[in-house]
Amino acid sequence: MSEKKKWFTLDFGFNKENATTTTSGCGCGNTSGGCNSHKPAPIEPPVATSCGCGSTTGSCSSHNTPPPKNEYTITADEFDAAVEDTMVGETQKDGFQQVFDVKMDRRTAFRKLTASLLIGAGAVQTSCSAIAGEETKEKAQIDWEEQFKGNYKLMTQEERDATVKRLVRSYQLRKKENISMSATDASEDVLFGYAFNISKCQGYMNCVSACVEENNQDRNSQMQYIRIHEMKDGEGFKFNEADDNYYHEVPAEGHFYMGTQCFHCDDPPCVNVCPVEATWREKDGLVVIDYDWCIGCRYCMAACPYDGRRFNWSKPEVPQAEVNKNQHYLGNRMRKKGVMEKCTFCIQRSRSGKDPACVEACPTGARIFGNLLDPESTIRWVLENKKVFRLKEDLGTEPKFWYFMD
Amino acid sequence: MSTQKLILSLVILSFLCSCKHKEGEYHSLKEKIEHEGNKYHDTGISSEAYIGDIKTIQITEGDHTFLIPERKSQIQSYACNECHSKPLAAMQHSSIAKKAHWNIKLMHANENAMNCATCHDGSDMNQLHSLTNKPVDFNKSYQLCSQCHSIQFENWKGGAHGKNIGGWAKPRAAMTCVNCHNPHQPQIASKWPVRFNTEKVKERK
Repeated sequence: MSEKKKWFTLDFGFNKENATTTTSGCGCGNTSGGCNSHKPAPIEPPVATSCGCGSTTGSCSSHNTPPPKNEYTITADEFDAAVEDTMVGETQKDGFQQVFDVKMDRRTAFRKLTASLLIGAGAVQTSCSAIAGEETKEKAQIDWEEQFKGNYKLMTQEERDATVKRLVRSYQLRKKENISMSATDASEDVLFGYAFNISKCQGYMNCVSACVEENNQDRNSQMQYIRIHEMKDGEGFKFNEADDNYYHEVPAEGHFYMGTQCFHCDDPPCVNVCPVEATWREKDGLVVIDYDWCIGCRYCMAACPYDGRRFNWSKPEVPQAEVNKNQHYLGNRMRKKGVMEKCTFCIQRSRSGKDPACVEACPTGARIFGNLLDPESTIRWVLENKKVFRLKEDLGTEPKFWYFMD
Repeated sequence: MSTQKLILSLVILSFLCSCKHKEGEYHSLKEKIEHEGNKYHDTGISSEAYIGDIKTIQITEGDHTFLIPERKSQIQSYACNECHSKPLAAMQHSSIAKKAHWNIKLMHANENAMNCATCHDGSDMNQLHSLTNKPVDFNKSYQLCSQCHSIQFENWKGGAHGKNIGGWAKPRAAMTCVNCHNPHQPQIASKWPVRFNTEKVKERK
């Protein structure tokens, strides 16, 4: 019955009488200290009550404090204002405010402060040190600001540019090399779609190689977004019997090949399950991840019906000479350990009009990419003139990745 | 009686309010693409820069206009009449004639259906000719292929066959037949995949 609830109780004043007569019990189970949560207690019940806090050594301070204003008797206006404060204010806050303007209890606040202070202490130590050079201080400053930045989705354009600038500078300071990173937004009248010709794919895996190189995927764990499945002719799609890691001359007699990757569903189940909204669907249909907001819970991985998502179990390593320096914040920039990643239809390329790396690398022309909204695009011609189908269409995820045959 | 009415109205009401789609605007992706495609405006994004150094020519076939790589400058010993100064018939019977193109082995359909003269013009080696003996430019050799491979031709025009060059935006550029298929041996040979994932083998042990 603690009145310090973390959630709202819808109350139109009907519980007024109840409120005054309820016995105030404390369920905190504290055995050594006082039960402090009772300080702003409601009007004392007329009958004498016992303190339920179970305190054996301390005093129960709640019974000594004078009764403050009754919280249960707010007017409708006050209630609206409170809702306005917490709900509307929340949506308008930028990323920075989101971190700092969160209402929380003391315990959580202390926990968060300790964690941040530990990180900050290191930064402060180096930045305040007289011996440390300018570069070290700058690094510390960047780390500090990166630590407290908000969710990319909610950042203003200035904030986005700022974080991109910081990341570029950070790479320059650490690796002594320049990268170019963009934060290009989705264009109007663009909805990306992909078609895959099963008759044409020969299983050469040029797409896989190109993808790994383009998107700076971890070389140690040999992560790859694309999987090419070798399947037996005449047996349909049997993924459990298919081989996606063959090594023999291709195309093998009596087999066909089909590729899977992230299908960029129009109603993506992975987005719905993310507890921190670190993944979302962009306006041009690309499903992207903010690697700095991802907490690595892998709910999205479990929710994806197509095995489209990959997790960094270890720190991703790419030899410096092989790093693709044309990067996008939501695309192929360097990831860290413990975050999700996946195909973005090469956002760093596609948003500027270029084909994704897999399309460019495929020697057979089995991969077709384009703008679904452009009635003259090749992807639209394929959808309208070929017998196309999608995987697990009945799930209603609306993947924007179609298969077809000659 | 009144309870029955109540139940009936509840059933009707639940039917009316049972649209499960969250967005509400469209019932399917197909509908959305069609509807939003109707009010499509050019995005202003261009793929021109990504075609690179490839020299292209523009062709129009049916409703489709797009770029294909220019061919003549890519053929090593073009123009052919630098050697084939006389019609083929005259050169074949000359005593000084050396055997040319001995390295080309024709493996396209069978001997009854095709030989060199099916496509090459013996009287004017600088160009090709159709089955009905109409001249065809080397740059537009797809016109020869399409005489038999009509389905592939339709797919190619639409964009379902043949590799796209550069980017998805305008201008559209696509490989032409001979950029991938050797016209003399159009069958593509098998080869080894470019990679093998050794980590995956370990993971699945």
